[in-house]
Amino acid sequence: MNQRAHATTVLARRRIFETLISPGFYVAQTIGLVLAYFLVAGFVRAIDSSGFDYQLYPAYELIGRSLVGAFGTTFVEKLFSEGPFLFILYIAFLPVLLYLAVSSVFRFGLEKKVGALELLTYGPADSTSYFLAALIKDILMTAIYLVVLLVFLLVAGVLNNLILGPSFYYSLIILFFLSVAIYAYGIFASSLTDNSASAIAVFLGLILFFIIIMMGSFTIVSGYVRNLASVFAWIIKWISPLFYWDLALRFVEVGDWGMYFIGILLLLVLSMAILIISHLTMKARGVRP
Amino acid sequence: MKAPRIAVLLFLLFCAGLLFADVPVREEQFIYSILAFNGKDYAGTFARKDADTIYLVADVDNFITVRKVFVYFWPITQDWKTDTSALNIPFEGTLELSGREDEPETVGMTPYTYYNIRGEYELNWSVAKEAEADQAWQHYQDLMDAYWQSVSKYYETRAAYEALLNELTTTITRMRNEGQDVTKLIDALRELKSPPEPQYPTEYIVPPAPVQKAFILNLPVGEYSIRFSTEDGLVMEGSERRIVAFDKRRAEAIGLEVIPGDKWTRPVEAKTPASVLYINGSTDLYLRPFYQQEYNDLFYEKMRKNDAKGNPTLMKWVRIQQVPKARVEVTRPSSEARMLLEEPFYVEQVKGAALGYQIVPFDPEGKHKDREPSLQAFHIPITKDQRVVRIRVQDKDGEYLPSSERQIRIITLSRVGFISLILGVLPMVVMIIVMARRSRKYTS
Repeated sequence: MNQRAHATTVLARRRIFETLISPGFYVAQTIGLVLAYFLVAGFVRAIDSSGFDYQLYPAYELIGRSLVGAFGTTFVEKLFSEGPFLFILYIAFLPVLLYLAVSSVFRFGLEKKVGALELLTYGPADSTSYFLAALIKDILMTAIYLVVLLVFLLVAGVLNNLILGPSFYYSLIILFFLSVAIYAYGIFASSLTDNSASAIAVFLGLILFFIIIMMGSFTIVSGYVRNLASVFAWIIKWISPLFYWDLALRFVEVGDWGMYFIGILLLLVLSMAILIISHLTMKARGVRP
Repeated sequence: MKAPRIAVLLFLLFCAGLLFADVPVREEQFIYSILAFNGKDYAGTFARKDADTIYLVADVDNFITVRKVFVYFWPITQDWKTDTSALNIPFEGTLELSGREDEPETVGMTPYTYYNIRGEYELNWSVAKEAEADQAWQHYQDLMDAYWQSVSKYYETRAAYEALLNELTTTITRMRNEGQDVTKLIDALRELKSPPEPQYPTEYIVPPAPVQKAFILNLPVGEYSIRFSTEDGLVMEGSERRIVAFDKRRAEAIGLEVIPGDKWTRPVEAKTPASVLYINGSTDLYLRPFYQQEYNDLFYEKMRKNDAKGNPTLMKWVRIQQVPKARVEVTRPSSEARMLLEEPFYVEQVKGAALGYQIVPFDPEGKHKDREPSLQAFHIPITKDQRVVRIRVQDKDGEYLPSSERQIRIITLSRVGFISLILGVLPMVVMIIVMARRSRKYTS
């Protein structure tokens, strides 16, 4: 056990170092922050004497109309009721989340395919310490980016007389735990497959599936489609990280902090369960492609 | 030669088809006509044959009737409508309600009326059933009869007054022309007063509707099913529906209607308690606080209009009624809190090419004499140099109302906004430094 922990620490340090010296993480961060800048600037320009009106700024008009069409007016009203930052948080977080998750899945698949993982397991490391190291790297990089994003948005807020609002902070915290569960699914997808392409395909397929099921019950479709999505969602929700994310945010909206923390706890439990399944899968399938 | 002619003919025939507007297809359908209480008002909708669920607010009286009408889809407004001018056959019978008790209940049709009495609050809805309904309707009829009698009497008195006025004026003119003393007659003319106009009954905001018969459903929160049986006891085919009775999640929160001084026709509502109102500070604001309740978006929308769409996973705040005799506390960063009272205002059209509106204080003695104020609101003066204005609402007893705090933030385009863009590209700068150092390290 100690040997595995030691191997995990060493591998994690190595992975973090590699991430910090390669351009990908910086590029993803810059994309997220520049997107955030343009969204803040657009929001400020879409304000008139009666408040925020997304029709006043072309980019926001497109976003606003699409969101109203898909989720309804109430959703858009709530999304922007405290300012632009709740929306910006999700948009600006997406590039880094995708980069970290996909790059880990890709590398897992690649190292498995070329035999690097097999080589590692001849030494003190095993497949579990390998994927745990990747997870630690992703978690740490996510935490760093969320802090960077928070500072950036705070500065943007001060410069433009905007405030971040309570929903922003609740979402910021839950987003961290949601990303842990997503990375766990990335490891699970890698453990199931033999190469990068199929690992990425399975991972993106899984995430897309959760999003579609979630949005099926979330969007304003009527009748048969919504009922079908609701039935599916009821079955799938227990394994979907998006369900616990939504659950926690819904409870914190009415001031139920207990259920908010339970939502976070359930996200961690789900991540643990996925990692255990990945561990068992790797054990059963081995590290050879 | 023949082929082009046929082609032209076919083309013209095709165009002729396009010239005629599409007439919506009317389909004879059995419907449930619903008069549902939406938290502030009674509003009508209907459940057509494809609508499997009826949504009602729990623990209030809702009225349902059953009828056969023509139903059609109106593409312009994208909704379903009924055409009752050609077909409107109401059915009498019973409603079988399952879900409240172990055994299905039979609900009969009950005569009813509903009305809203004027009071301190806007909403004082009452529902009268059976004999009480007749009494309420009779009371309203008596009130209106008395009013029309007084109107008729007023016109008689008014005619007599005008005749006397005319006679006196003619006499005074004639006597004055003849050089006679008219002092007494002028005194009599001065003492002559126009008869007072009778006041329209103010007892009701919404008067009782004529007594009708309906199935009155007042259900606790839950899911039920209904089906309709005719007077012969036969179950009407296709009359099965599910009923969802839902309740508000939260109540008594405060929302604010915000009317910008230059856009009287475009008020906005700050409903979410944590919401912030961002404005550009170009004009003053006029606020009207209101009580609001929170409902499920899908349920509420479907209750108001059965074929509407909504989001089942979201809750929405619904404006219920004004806060009577409220006061608004306004706090600015550099000054002490100020308490504002509601004031009357008048909306005037801006003269000139601007064609806008402006809100001005109501002047009942001056230029707005004999007019009604356009709105009663709290006036919040706004200047661009203020960054934040905080407001809180008190009720008539001076108690702060829950979740009534709001922030108004005045946004002006920042000259230093580019600083955040510089911050945004900072990771790229870090990347360049890291890569340059590594490159130097391995090349040296």
